[in-house]
Amino acid sequence: MHGLIDALQFIFAPQIVNGLSIGVAVILMALGLTIIFGLLDVINMAHGEFYALGAYLAVSLLAAGVSFWLCLIIVPVLMLPVGYVVERLLIQRVFDRRDRHVLTLLLTFGLGVVLEDAFRLIFGPNTVRMETPIGGAADVFGMYFPNYRLFVMAIGAVIIAVTWVVIFRTRIGAMVRAAAHDRQMASSLGVPVARVYSATFAFGIGLAGLAGVLLAPIYSVFPTMGKDFILLAFTVVIVGGMGSIKGAVIAGIVLMQVQALASLYISPVWTEPLLFGVMVLVLMWRPQGLFGKLGNG
Amino acid sequence: MADAGAVIAAVRHSEHARHHSLTGFALAFIVLGLLFAAVAAWRGDVFFFRLATEALIFGGLALSVDVLLGYTGMLSLGQALFFGLGAYVSALVLKNVLPSFWLAMAVTLAVATLAGFVAAVISTRARGVYFALITFGLAQVVAKVVFNTPSLGASDGIIGIPVITIDLVAFDVDTASAAAFFLFCLAFVMALYFLCAYLARTPAGRVLAAIRSNEDRVPFLGYPVGLVKVLAFVLAADVAALSGALYPMLRGFVSPELLYFEVSGNAVITVIIGGMGTLIGPLYGSVLIVGLKSVIGSYTTHHLIVIGTLFVFAVIFFPQGLVGYFKPPLERRLAARRAAVRA
Repeated sequence: MHGLIDALQFIFAPQIVNGLSIGVAVILMALGLTIIFGLLDVINMAHGEFYALGAYLAVSLLAAGVSFWLCLIIVPVLMLPVGYVVERLLIQRVFDRRDRHVLTLLLTFGLGVVLEDAFRLIFGPNTVRMETPIGGAADVFGMYFPNYRLFVMAIGAVIIAVTWVVIFRTRIGAMVRAAAHDRQMASSLGVPVARVYSATFAFGIGLAGLAGVLLAPIYSVFPTMGKDFILLAFTVVIVGGMGSIKGAVIAGIVLMQVQALASLYISPVWTEPLLFGVMVLVLMWRPQGLFGKLGNG
Repeated sequence: MADAGAVIAAVRHSEHARHHSLTGFALAFIVLGLLFAAVAAWRGDVFFFRLATEALIFGGLALSVDVLLGYTGMLSLGQALFFGLGAYVSALVLKNVLPSFWLAMAVTLAVATLAGFVAAVISTRARGVYFALITFGLAQVVAKVVFNTPSLGASDGIIGIPVITIDLVAFDVDTASAAAFFLFCLAFVMALYFLCAYLARTPAGRVLAAIRSNEDRVPFLGYPVGLVKVLAFVLAADVAALSGALYPMLRGFVSPELLYFEVSGNAVITVIIGGMGTLIGPLYGSVLIVGLKSVIGSYTTHHLIVIGTLFVFAVIFFPQGLVGYFKPPLERRLAARRAAVRA
């Protein structure tokens, strides 16, 4: 009995907390992806690079003497116009063509290629380390958790809640959902659809940037950091159901717990194939993912 | 029903023109390849021979992407999986079993068909962007596993693959000879091209085109969509793997980078720039991209910025690609010539 409690306390609990803190960050990424897909029907292949851009902006701002806490606000705000311009200049150009699914995917993929190489050019190919803004660990029931991870979990939960409220409980959110549901009808009822599209895309990019800032102190910052992370985010989005916010949150938590706990038993190398296997199984059972599209909850 | 007859005749006519113009591009490609070989051999060159051979090999990979994307409308973001698989299998056979070209190719074909079938069962159930993401994920996962498997050389890959002699009945080709191996790869990749072009014109190939046009409608006409998609996927996997199998013969090593997303992504870029849905376009595209990389590479290591930007512009302003852009004038000229012959 004593051994079991020890195992829970010292082996499982830390892993669960690790899983939750990574899960929250993955959910922030997945939220952006899923909202953009739910509204615009666009798979943003460059999402990982925007996440990396957020991290690099934070690194540069810190080097310029800006405090980390200010970065948490400044970086997402800086990302918004970037997302807006990308949507206007790239996505809108091919939006009315027949195979826009593939075209927008290709465009964002090309953008990702350019961005990744640009990071290498500007910041160099090496890994940049970042000071942890909150040091120390908290003592919770005799278990020690790094303060920063607890902070990431808390702020992530707040952002997820705020996103939910904005989309489901505000007038702007109603416009977004209306535009996702029926573009023509929303437009004829006075919703500025084109602007809603750009703003939503910008919002998703902002979330990716925020995830980049939050995770930069935990992982380090390097040019291909987005590629490594985007697969997790895509897995979460696909399992949860493209366009579903609830799905992204639930799938994000569950999958990251699976990964965290599985890595106690199998080599961490194999946890990614495991998650991928889960995704394939879910797709075979429910090709549209666990939950429906944006607007249906 | 006279109208239906007229429509069929018109469709036949336009298909004929299309086929002839594409064959024209293919023949021109061979002629250009031979011209290049003549000039390069006269100059006693090795570097450009090797570079051109690499362009052919990656052209084969792009060809496989076009079989899926251009004909069936399935965007594969993980074709490097099969390319790398072919390269690794070929390397292992040549190094550890027997330095025989035909054995390496046979084993590659068998393994790729099997792997392609498994991957097809997983991925072709999904459509559109889901398919793209699943292929992306599959390749990414396999690349990670190979990268971490010591018996496959992990991050170092496999080095020291022997130079081999390819036994063609009438004569032998030594892979150490840059010129001979280039000519062999030209013949090999063009054979893959003509095979794909032929298969695209068979009834099954027409079903592929029908799936691209309207996937929901095809089953009502009585065609097994799922089966045909699996076949197309396996064909693409084989083409990619056979092209990949040439890689260790050219470079003498394989590394996990061959499985990375950069390779898959490059193949997609190549297809779009060369001309999607033309099959020959990807080969022209590959020559262009590999050449461009080499030229830019002599100034800066950041060729991806240039190529990525070029790609984005191509998608927006030039979606028909190189061959797609020059095809209509050629078709018109061929049609005019036929009309003149008839008159």
